[in-house]
Amino acid sequence: MLSEETVVLDQSVSNSSPDSRSPQLDLSQIRNRFPILSREIHGHPLAFLDNASTTQKPDSVIQAMVDFFQQSNSNVSRGVYTLAEEATENYEEARKTVAKLLNAVSEDEVIFTSGTTAAVNLVAQSWASQQLKAGDRILVTEMEHHSNLVPWQQLCKQLGIELDYWTIDREGCLDLEELNQLLSENTKLVAMTAISNVLGSINPVGEVVKRAHSIGAAVFVDAAQAVARMPIDVQKWDCDFLAFSGHKLYGPTGIGVLWVKQEQMQKMSPWQTGGGMISKVDRQESHWASGPAKFEAGTPPVAQAAGLTAAIDFILETGFDSITRHETELTQICLDKLQSETDVEIYGPTSMESRAGVVAFNLRGVHPHDVAQVLNESGIAVRAGHHCTQVLHSKLGLQASVRLSVGVYNTEEEILRLVTSLQHVRDLLK
Amino acid sequence: MSSEEIYKGVILDHARHPRNRGNLEDPDFEAKAYNPLCGDELVLHLRLKQDLIEDCRTLVRGCSICQASASMMSEELKGKSMENAAALSGIFKKVLHQKDSEDSETLENLRPLMNLRSHKSRIKCVSLAWNAFDECVEKFHETTEKTTTPS
Ligand SMILES: Cc1ncc(COP(=O)(O)O)c(C=O)c1O
Repeated sequence: MLSEETVVLDQSVSNSSPDSRSPQLDLSQIRNRFPILSREIHGHPLAFLDNASTTQKPDSVIQAMVDFFQQSNSNVSRGVYTLAEEATENYEEARKTVAKLLNAVSEDEVIFTSGTTAAVNLVAQSWASQQLKAGDRILVTEMEHHSNLVPWQQLCKQLGIELDYWTIDREGCLDLEELNQLLSENTKLVAMTAISNVLGSINPVGEVVKRAHSIGAAVFVDAAQAVARMPIDVQKWDCDFLAFSGHKLYGPTGIGVLWVKQEQMQKMSPWQTGGGMISKVDRQESHWASGPAKFEAGTPPVAQAAGLTAAIDFILETGFDSITRHETELTQICLDKLQSETDVEIYGPTSMESRAGVVAFNLRGVHPHDVAQVLNESGIAVRAGHHCTQVLHSKLGLQASVRLSVGVYNTEEEILRLVTSLQHVRDLLK
Repeated sequence: MSSEEIYKGVILDHARHPRNRGNLEDPDFEAKAYNPLCGDELVLHLRLKQDLIEDCRTLVRGCSICQASASMMSEELKGKSMENAAALSGIFKKVLHQKDSEDSETLENLRPLMNLRSHKSRIKCVSLAWNAFDECVEKFHETTEKTTTPS
């Protein structure tokens, strides 16, 4: 049950320094690969600090999609001519690349969807609606994005099952002790995010999976925020389902991934039916294709798959070591600076040990919308609102917050510009 | 239009010192409006004398634009008949959504808000209070239909 108790999070920030042994990014080389970064907004260079919402695209991703349209455009799995074969190959190549990124046992565990949201709905309808029954329970955390919450709420109504909440502590973290009390023999699924899109908290997925499995519950991991920020190993985590969106990993919109452990995929029945997902159709009866195709009805996002491959290649070439190091450094600078402003309230973990590059805050006395509007005047793009986490915001006693989230191309100058521009906000509005 | 221009003069004054703020003890009409994009919310209370808006209050949990617009609306509504106020709402919203339509003279007092037309993302903030008012108008029509329809 959701407690209405309001949590005020501690603002002190520890000085954990990022691992200095990981390689440093060649920032100017990286930035040169993102054409949009040369844009000016209101006479200032664009400082795009809304990467938790979506990320910008490097030249290789854009080029991969242009090449596809200019050279190979055709539908997949439906033609014998050269273009169709190239398109199919390109699409299946993306599946292999995703499998490599996640360290999946096989690319047959990779289902393409339109994004994270579609992946959650697919698991709810194809797996959970068959596997769960009245009296069962689903456990979610208080920090879930609406995308990993509303489909479960709806399913609970549909099946007459209960939705339980794993609460966050004062720092916006999850307490494993509490998990032990929440898991019951009726809990059949734990649905959790790997990284909060507001608090930046990095959650202990592996540990949760161990405990959930010990009582027979499956685990769904929302990796929308994690996928571009940390290496993911589905075998190590041992989770059952994992989802992410291409557009949050420097890839295109319109494509996402649902990874499913093979033994679970066997229990899934198709949600959407139609072309491409069948093996045989008779007048009254149909038989399904095997493997991921069974869950990919209709023409898939073929061009986007080419973009996704290029995006994953970009990430893997850049290397998670350097990406994490860079983002941790920037986030630490940001926390230090904001913390020294007495009218700024920061939400989320105080230590970078358990925090990724997302910082939600409020400037006391000024509505987040107004903060974001004035920051835009200095070319700074940040998000204001509830960031699709209304349960979390009401737990924090907030209606909205300002959120900045760093990406691989952000600079220290951009963070400092944001902090300086807050003074501008105060001058106008306080 | 820059933030300097938006956050000054009339708008900032209304945002800082909202007029007719709060609840009415016993309102004739009440409506809530909610912006799902950002969670901003607003409650509007109206008291009528015959069909004239005698009193009007708004309670806003939202940004300064939303607050200012509600405050300015409350001043406009007071003393108008429901029909005239409804017509004003119609004109206001129409002009708000058309970037280059002529400002109507009836909108004189609301003109500062029109400058926000170029900020598409803020139009929802400006409209929120008027959405609540439109809901009150609907309720008003429902009740007048009931009382004028012979049983
Ligand atoms: C944690 C988290 N989960 C899910 C989503 C939904 O992703 P999409 O809108 O691409 O389906 C997001 C993106 O906003 C997110 O941050």
